[in-house]
Amino acid sequence: MSMETLDYREGPRTRGVFLRLLRYMLPHRAKVVLSIAILLAATATDVFQPILIKIFIDRYLVPKHFPSGVLIELAAAYLGLVVATSVLNIFQLLLFQILALDIIQRLRVELFDKIQELALAFFDRTPVGVLVSRITNDTQAILDMFMTVLSSFVQNITVLVGILIAMFALDATLAAYFLILIPVVGGVMFLYGRVSGPIFHITRQRLSILNAKLNESLQGMPVIQSMRQEPRLRREFGEINEAYRRARFRNTQINGLLLRPLMDVVYLSVLMLVLWYFGMRSFSQVVNIGVLYAFVTYLSRFFEPVNGMLQRMNFFQQAMVSAERVFQILDNPGLGPRQEGDQDPRVTVGRITFEDVSFSYDGKTDVLKHVSFTAEPGQTVAIVGHTGSGKSSVVNLLMRFYPVDRGRILIDGSDLRTFDNMELRRKMGLVLQDPFLFVGDITSNIRLGEDGISLDQVVSAAQFVQADSFIRQLPGAYQAPIGERGATLSTGQRQLISFARTMAMDPKILVLDEATASVDTETEEAIQAALAKMRHGRTTIAIAHRLSTIQDADLILVLNHGEIVERGNHQELLAREGLYHKMYLLQQGSGRAVG
Amino acid sequence: MRVFRDLMWFFRAHRNRYLGGIVLLIIVALLSLIPPQIVGMIINQIQSKTLTKTHLTEGVLAILFTALATYGLRYWWRVLLYGGSIQLGTELRTRLYHHFTLMSPQFYHQQRIGDLMAHATNDVSAIQETAGDGVLTLVDSITTGVVVIGTMVITISWKLTIVSLLPLPLMAYAVSRFGKALHKRFTLAQAAFSDINDRVQEYISGIRVVRSFGQEAWERKNFVALSQDVVAKNVAVARIDSLFDPTISVIIGLSYFLSIAVGAVFVVHHAMNLGQLTTFTLYLGQLIWPMLAFGFFFNIVERGSASYDRVSNLLSIAPAVEDRPDALHSVPSGDLVYRVREFRYPDATDRAALQDVNLTVHRGQTLGIVGRTGAGKTTLLRLLFREFDIQQGDITIGGISIYAVALKSLRAALAYAPQDDFLFSASIAQNIAFARHDASDEEIVAVARLAQVDQDIKDFADGYGTIVGERGITLSGGQKQRISIARALLQDAEILVLDDTLSAVDARTEAAILTALKRNRQGRTTLIATHRLSAVEHADQIIVLEDGKIVEQGTHGELLAQEGRYRDMYQRQQLESLVEAGGIGS
Repeated sequence: MSMETLDYREGPRTRGVFLRLLRYMLPHRAKVVLSIAILLAATATDVFQPILIKIFIDRYLVPKHFPSGVLIELAAAYLGLVVATSVLNIFQLLLFQILALDIIQRLRVELFDKIQELALAFFDRTPVGVLVSRITNDTQAILDMFMTVLSSFVQNITVLVGILIAMFALDATLAAYFLILIPVVGGVMFLYGRVSGPIFHITRQRLSILNAKLNESLQGMPVIQSMRQEPRLRREFGEINEAYRRARFRNTQINGLLLRPLMDVVYLSVLMLVLWYFGMRSFSQVVNIGVLYAFVTYLSRFFEPVNGMLQRMNFFQQAMVSAERVFQILDNPGLGPRQEGDQDPRVTVGRITFEDVSFSYDGKTDVLKHVSFTAEPGQTVAIVGHTGSGKSSVVNLLMRFYPVDRGRILIDGSDLRTFDNMELRRKMGLVLQDPFLFVGDITSNIRLGEDGISLDQVVSAAQFVQADSFIRQLPGAYQAPIGERGATLSTGQRQLISFARTMAMDPKILVLDEATASVDTETEEAIQAALAKMRHGRTTIAIAHRLSTIQDADLILVLNHGEIVERGNHQELLAREGLYHKMYLLQQGSGRAVG
Repeated sequence: MRVFRDLMWFFRAHRNRYLGGIVLLIIVALLSLIPPQIVGMIINQIQSKTLTKTHLTEGVLAILFTALATYGLRYWWRVLLYGGSIQLGTELRTRLYHHFTLMSPQFYHQQRIGDLMAHATNDVSAIQETAGDGVLTLVDSITTGVVVIGTMVITISWKLTIVSLLPLPLMAYAVSRFGKALHKRFTLAQAAFSDINDRVQEYISGIRVVRSFGQEAWERKNFVALSQDVVAKNVAVARIDSLFDPTISVIIGLSYFLSIAVGAVFVVHHAMNLGQLTTFTLYLGQLIWPMLAFGFFFNIVERGSASYDRVSNLLSIAPAVEDRPDALHSVPSGDLVYRVREFRYPDATDRAALQDVNLTVHRGQTLGIVGRTGAGKTTLLRLLFREFDIQQGDITIGGISIYAVALKSLRAALAYAPQDDFLFSASIAQNIAFARHDASDEEIVAVARLAQVDQDIKDFADGYGTIVGERGITLSGGQKQRISIARALLQDAEILVLDDTLSAVDARTEAAILTALKRNRQGRTTLIATHRLSAVEHADQIIVLEDGKIVEQGTHGELLAQEGRYRDMYQRQQLESLVEAGGIGS
């Protein structure tokens, strides 16, 4: 994906990210220590098994001396160790996995909380898909790291150390030679990481390009077909598919050269050395067959964990890339505006004053310039102007989606900045242009998360905006299911439900971002009627497209390039005998068209 | 196992690759027998003090030879077998993609894109795994198993072999059992994961609503609950997962115990020697993998065959609209005539979507189609593109039925710009040139000018190179619509269809586009469906649709004079556009 980090590096950055991830284990210190303790115990019982067999061979089998009591004890001890190892391992594995899941749960919630605090500007810049993938997929990759990589690395390294200790106990000289294995195995791992890392990344990238292409083609199939571009798209997809195939194949080649087959060569080489060592020694002194047996067994066990670790290195690298992306969001300094000071004022009557407000999104071009006006309690202020005139910015500032740069916005005499978030959200109802509905049913969409709103209140809110009749006609009425983005309802119906949602909150102040999208006449009438009722008794700031809203407004502001170029109420503007007057006359002429 | 029969076409096509891989696997299995034999031999010779330096050197060199030979062969079979499975995955994706391009809109109405994606990704990888790991585990477990057990029986002791193998079927059983349980729980965990994915997607899309209604705490509660559900389902997976390896260890430990204990008895009775016993335990170690593999094999095959069924079901769906055998391959041209007695959507039985729609649009004329949502405007246009076929009636272009023309030729006569058009994740220039990939920059800029979007594009930092679509910058609805118009214009087709494509464009821009179209499209036909009447004011003919029927028909002037629906709509909209204009004018 073009959005994702494409470069592949190792070194200080990876290390920093990894250490930061490890710090998430700190609160679970006790569990970590417990898991590692159990792991150590399991490793000890595991490593001890061949030693028992060695004792059996050397002390009893070779001299053909079989005291039954001791042998039964030996057998019981061996089986006991086998079972103990397994039981300990079950607990250890489970503990590690639960630990990893707990850590990820915390990381996810932390990320979610951070996203809740981020300024809206962040969401304007970041595609939804990318953000979703940060919260879910990237944390999942980190989970895989904690779950498989970390626990298997800890476990495998412990097993390796255990095997080495056992070997030292059996024959220190030979065991010392074994230490050479550590740099050899480390070298292979390093080489594998170096060689496979970039290919692995390329493979993942090509896969995501392939998926993106497929997804886009499926979504855009009507366009592709109507423009007869199927052959070209097939060709393009074929190329991407082939590029992915090549990357996958390279992966297979590298794995074949460097993973298990290579480790097997290392294993057999060491086996050769062990045989050579014991063979040569047998010419000068007596060789302990039991020790030889134990060494050969340990050797064959040594490489299982090594192979396991090698195979998981790719996951580790992927997790580091993911963790880095997650941390980028966690470190994002662009927080949304919050309450300042501790005055905690209340919205009482709903008087809104803009005092010389100027605002810029990018710090360069002002989208609002010295805007001042007052909406008295219960009044309606309509803002008109073409696209880009700054109408929406007025709403964004008033709703405190963005911080006010210069000037002040006052509500009932107190600076907007000093209000508590909840107070603002409860008392100011925003009706958005694009009525967003959530998956659920009609009731849950009207009530949202407010359990305090009773079913009766939901119904009366719907009745108030005259949505009740169409809702009752839906299968399931107020429990009628709503699919993704409310696709089953018409635009006008969605609009009415979002009105009901606002009315259920019974706000003091109404902020309307009227829809421009044209709907059919009947729904349009219902919407107009609902809006008129909603405005009654509430201070309303409306980005207005509808004639009824504008006509009834106490104050009409005409915005042009961020400046108020004309203001006044219906009568005043009419008295100018300008455009408004012309409109009025037209309205008189058409009579019944506009009520 | 059925899935292997289903995949025979592929194995047959790649016969040499698969036969070669299998032969190599068998050779590797045989070669792996050598080192344990040598270890046993040397131990015996050490014990009986018969070891000579020559013997030792020979033995060690034999292991070296085995090591190098197996390295090469192991690499080779991996490349053959896995290379083959990767090839299979690639071919299946190509087939699916090809198939998707043949499917009609009806197919896309019935299928969810997420599901289609899942078939092309998850199902294909499951099938790929069957042809790779599936074949490998089957061949490997059988050959290694047979060869190792055979050697144990022949060179050491059949009695000891039987005794030591007693616990191993338990392992294959446990692996397959746990594998199944794991798969079931894993599917649940995946479902929980996709729930949280959907929820987060929705939350972020609706972030303005969430914030303006102060629902952050509620959303957090939901998120935490879903996230906990994911954790719980994954813990359920972990519970089985952590049983897996330890259970296998116990069974293997038991096997070792039996072979040492019983083997010791044999050694005492001189039925075998110590070296043989060591060799035997090494062989036993080599049997662990084939046993595990056998367990895995069943799970791989089970998943692979379910996936193969889904993919082949998908591939067997025939395109809903196909060319007649005698279809004409010339691009139709001339007057457009609708004679629709009745049209119903295939899944709707209750009411006709269109009824008695008869109209003629002369070549070069503009037809305006107005009416409320659901009145049948889009249906009328869809029929022209043969997204659906009419049951009673016909549509002709230049006197030739559109059903007598090959789909490709028909589409060459039409250019379509829908209301909510899809832009691809590519540059604006590439999007405009979608239908004609070889269009020059001048041509692209020319159509962008006609669609009044040139200035907007130039205002972007990267101009025409600006990436749009899902992974690019977000365009306003109006910009998208105008780019969509530019794209359709570049097709230079005889009939241009605008399906409410000007709804998000302001009145002045709309007028400019319509004027430009009129000038540019002389002699060619234009169909405009719209809610906003200003877009069709200058049309040569306007129809007003209601419930799938034409209720008013005529020019703008004629319809105004009728004092009907059209006039009502017109007057209301007239006032509102004046209000809008108020912001700019003064």
